[in-house]
Amino acid sequence: MGRIIAGLGSPHAPSIGALIDKQDWQNPAWKKLLDGYTPMQEWLAEQKPDAAILIYNDHVTTFFFDQVPTFAMSVAAEHPIADEGFGPRPLDPIPGNSDFAWHVAHALVDDEFDITICQHMPLDHGALTPTSALWPDRTKPWPCAILPIAVNVLQFPVPSPMRLFRLGQALRRAVESYRDDFRVVVLGTGGLSHQLHGERFGYRNNEWDMEFLDRLESDPHSLASLRLQDYIERGGAEGAEVIMWLAMRGALSPKVRCLHRNYHGPLHTGFAQVIYEDTEHMAEKVLIS
Amino acid sequence: MHSRQIDPQALPAGTYLNTGHAAQQGLRINRFCYDLRHPENRAAYTADPEACMEKAGLDPIDRELIRAKDWLGLIQRGANVFVLLRLAQLCGDGLTETGAQMRGETLEQYLASRPQPTKG
Repeated sequence: MGRIIAGLGSPHAPSIGALIDKQDWQNPAWKKLLDGYTPMQEWLAEQKPDAAILIYNDHVTTFFFDQVPTFAMSVAAEHPIADEGFGPRPLDPIPGNSDFAWHVAHALVDDEFDITICQHMPLDHGALTPTSALWPDRTKPWPCAILPIAVNVLQFPVPSPMRLFRLGQALRRAVESYRDDFRVVVLGTGGLSHQLHGERFGYRNNEWDMEFLDRLESDPHSLASLRLQDYIERGGAEGAEVIMWLAMRGALSPKVRCLHRNYHGPLHTGFAQVIYEDTEHMAEKVLIS
Repeated sequence: MHSRQIDPQALPAGTYLNTGHAAQQGLRINRFCYDLRHPENRAAYTADPEACMEKAGLDPIDRELIRAKDWLGLIQRGANVFVLLRLAQLCGDGLTETGAQMRGETLEQYLASRPQPTKG
């Protein structure tokens, strides 16, 4: 069967993508964040997963408010680089794996996740920032197929934290019913605490961000049981997008091994990065080696 | 509106929920900003903002808020921040500038208010 080997968490702010395009990895104000990608890049280069399921949100680029899918995924062979209004980023289209994606689509709908299936889903910074940060070598083709899943977190009703956690669990079942030896990582994306609108613009909560990361690792079900209102109160309205990290965590074994955790809050947003290794197949791995 | 997830009456002050009446009222402005992802529409707006607003069918209140670069007023009318940023940036205001204005602060006041990064 296929298996999920790890979950990774990353912010998706466009400012990070802009630094990467300038190859400005040493920028002093952003160094703690950019350095936080190094262990993730090295881990991915060593593990070479066959595919990454990328949980992100579109920022009114591919989907407009007249038609908002709660969950959407792309089954396309490649995903175009969207023009968000300032020209597309200088990146090659991101490869998909249609056979795997159609399998996941069927598995999710069988599991009563009635996701919107897209054959053309240009990606904006929500997906491109983490992809370009995690696989930074632009001299070679993209090394990993991406299965992007877009979640509506902008126009309410937004799916609940528990729904995202259960989406992750359904993704695990989908991967495990796929063909042998197919190794998958799940990427949860989005900033931790931040609010980017209204008089509450700039709201940040470092203590909550630390608590969120602790509980995500050791007690994710308790985070999934909170209401969206709790996330807005504690982590700011735009920070409620962190529910997308719950889909990543829901896809993993109840116990995970945290290989990496980094946090940096330079301005408006709390940025975090993690690698959680799935532990369910570890005993097996030890036996084989 | 009733939701198990959200209580609009008890949201933190200065937070605006994109749903219901606000989402419908904001649709025109949001579409206007959404269309600015095309370079030709940005060029047309820069050349003649009034003609663009007329063509987009914006009402007098929408237009006055845009003329005044009243980002908070536009949010209160139902604009979404991510799509509004396309218009703000075309008008010379980045995310930080719009944020300071929405808080009722100068850019310097806002930047001085930023917490020092913590270890994590």
